[in-house]
Amino acid sequence: MIVGGALLIGATIAVLGGGLLLVLAVVTVRSRRRSRNQRDQMLLSPLRVPLITVASGEDDDGSAAEQLTWATGVTRTVLDSNIVELLTKIRGGPGDQLIRVLEVHGAVDAAVSDLTHRSSVRRARAAQLLGLARADHTVPLLVEALSDESVEVRNSAAYALGLIGDPSAAGAVLAAIGAPDRGLPAATAAEALQSMGVGISEVLREGMRDDNARTRMVAAHLSGERSFTRGLPELRHLLDHDTDLTVRETAATAIGRLGRDEDAAVLSRHTVPTEPLSLRRACVHALGELGDDTAVPTLAALLDDPDPRLAELAASALLVLGPGGGAALAGHEDDPAVRTARLMASLQKANA
Amino acid sequence: MSWDGFTDGLRSFVVWVMDVSSVPIIIYFVLINSSLLLLIGLAYLEFRAQQRRRATALTWQGAGMAPGVSLLVPAYNEEAGIVTAVKSFLTLRYPRHEVVVVDDGSSDQTFARLEEAFDLVQVPRELPAEVPIRARVLGIWVPRDGRTRLVVVRKENSGRSEAINVAINAASEPLVAMIDGDSILEPDGLLHVTRPFADDPTRMVATGGAIRPVNGSRVVSGRIVRVEMPQTWIPRIQLVEYLRAFLLGRTGWSRLGGLILISGAFGLFRRDVVVEVGGLDPGSIGEDFELVMRIHKRMRDEGRDYKVEFVPEPVSWTEVPVTAKVLRNQRRRWHRGLWETLWAYRSMLFRPKYGRIGSVALPYYWLFELIAPLLELFGILIVPLALLLGVVNVPFAILFLVLAYGYAVLVTLAAMVVDEWAFHKHDRWRAIWQTVAASVLENIGYRQLTVWWRLEGWWSSLRGKKHVWGVMTRTGFDEEAA
Repeated sequence: MIVGGALLIGATIAVLGGGLLLVLAVVTVRSRRRSRNQRDQMLLSPLRVPLITVASGEDDDGSAAEQLTWATGVTRTVLDSNIVELLTKIRGGPGDQLIRVLEVHGAVDAAVSDLTHRSSVRRARAAQLLGLARADHTVPLLVEALSDESVEVRNSAAYALGLIGDPSAAGAVLAAIGAPDRGLPAATAAEALQSMGVGISEVLREGMRDDNARTRMVAAHLSGERSFTRGLPELRHLLDHDTDLTVRETAATAIGRLGRDEDAAVLSRHTVPTEPLSLRRACVHALGELGDDTAVPTLAALLDDPDPRLAELAASALLVLGPGGGAALAGHEDDPAVRTARLMASLQKANA
Repeated sequence: MSWDGFTDGLRSFVVWVMDVSSVPIIIYFVLINSSLLLLIGLAYLEFRAQQRRRATALTWQGAGMAPGVSLLVPAYNEEAGIVTAVKSFLTLRYPRHEVVVVDDGSSDQTFARLEEAFDLVQVPRELPAEVPIRARVLGIWVPRDGRTRLVVVRKENSGRSEAINVAINAASEPLVAMIDGDSILEPDGLLHVTRPFADDPTRMVATGGAIRPVNGSRVVSGRIVRVEMPQTWIPRIQLVEYLRAFLLGRTGWSRLGGLILISGAFGLFRRDVVVEVGGLDPGSIGEDFELVMRIHKRMRDEGRDYKVEFVPEPVSWTEVPVTAKVLRNQRRRWHRGLWETLWAYRSMLFRPKYGRIGSVALPYYWLFELIAPLLELFGILIVPLALLLGVVNVPFAILFLVLAYGYAVLVTLAAMVVDEWAFHKHDRWRAIWQTVAASVLENIGYRQLTVWWRLEGWWSSLRGKKHVWGVMTRTGFDEEAA
């Protein structure tokens, strides 16, 4: 009983003490944030005018940028983080001037050494800074960072590589998506690859043959977005044979964007009722995008499909296929799908 | 029997009950608190990761890989706020989204307001029957401008679940977000909750976002311009509950890979997966919970590689009950829904093929969510009785109560620290003290009442009583503080 009582008293004191500590923690977190913000504002205030002058592209004689390079100590740190923030929005001449300020401050060299810092936040921020500073000599280091244990660092490295835009890193970025346990998020990879120009089309073809479904999907998606027609054989293969439905739908959309006339037959094959409904819809939509009138018979047959959305998509596709498509709608004028497609098209046309 | 004889008998009975139950109750107490500690620990790990992500956040505007989203908005007699809500949904920052409003047979001017505001024109469209519907669809309307991505469907009244099912059939994007017409979404909310789908497009099937009470905040044109504490204690205490549930509970479960509950006020799902499992169950009281369970079951039964994740960023703001009457109805419904869903999926318990859902999450919900009010009621009855009869050591009992409720306060305070550290939505210092006070006051009366209401809900289900949906009286929040 005495032991139980002592235990109870101890636990109660611990819980109440813990509660007090947590209240203190809330107060401390808020106070620290406020005082840090105030300090940053105060330190930055003398430099605000030259910073705005440079950022707005009005520093013709370079004096404002020169003034920014004089900052030292904590002021320099605060200024650099503000410059990094600005570089996410500013390009061209003003951007180059701000990068020069960072270089003079030694921020770029510091970021290179920070890439191996034990704090993942420092590593990630370093990678971002290198990208924003367009430090193309650090591409090999950033490629290495794509396999960092921290996803934030991998994300930041891919982001930086995208900003630098060196297509030689494309293979590494795409391969990083499917890395076991250390995969690169597909969205980041796609954004990075999108900035790497036309030199990545071969890498994307390779990617569409990858074992990882996410890698194949990103490669297929980008091939369509960037209209890389060299990837068409792989896209057709994905549409026909891939085990992942999302990948097949992505391939269908991409073919719709960049396919050739003969792809109408490829897409038509997958509009049959034995295929998943979402894939059939994607293919019908893609047939409309493709705009080849050899698809007219397939689309006309789908006007009677039991799925009203598929029928409406087919009607909409026929409407954009010119006179052949319009003629195929004859006899279906009273179908709700056709009437809806016509009405939607006329509303859009009237307000175009 | 004399009064003394009665009290002696009662005393012996109470002593016997306490002897028999003390060890199981203490074990339960230790287990529930340990599991909460574990959840806090998991949530802490997740928040550290989140904080790292935030500290290194990259601007993502959803270009390229952002999947299209259909916002599904069931509306029943929402004439007061529907136009503002739809306008705010249409102007969310997202590259590809549409709004599908289903007027569930409103008897007020809900549809007329929409028709006037968006210059709607009826289209002869037939809806696909991918999700089976019982109620009759009366028509479909779209804006005359041909570019505003809004679809309005009118149907006979048949309830929220069927309204959402109709909206699923009308939706044309690959993701569907189920939201209430009176909810307010953060301008970047969609970008936050769709990000997991963009990052892992082949595996992600559902995400949920954190929901906060909007009561007291200043709202203008469907946007929150200043976050404030609610003005009365009932919603303030609910704010504390929401902090705990979302910032600790769901974040912890998500980290553990055992998230089984996505709130109906905001959930994002892959449309094809929702269609595949048959949409929301109109016969279920806990339809949102039931849907997530059905998705888990289907995915696991078929051995598919999939993910369900929680996004702790505040995504949606909702008005919470301000009166005990409305709160009672809500809590009865929630607990009834919890019981009926847990019972419906009892076959998943401890089955290895259901992984952590069957072995950890479901047993936890049975033991610590469903049964907890029963045991708490037992304590509420037996402790005062024992004190009255003088069969317990008074200081000992008081200490035990302080410990039990003090622990509950501690958990809330942990959620507050996380909120302040990660989101700091409330600017005023007063908000901190009001939240601390609410976390203490919650244990004095409020908690005991909700225990009773939850048991009422459970009991009415066990008796097979038909559930009657109460009316959630909204005070409204447009232009003025709620």
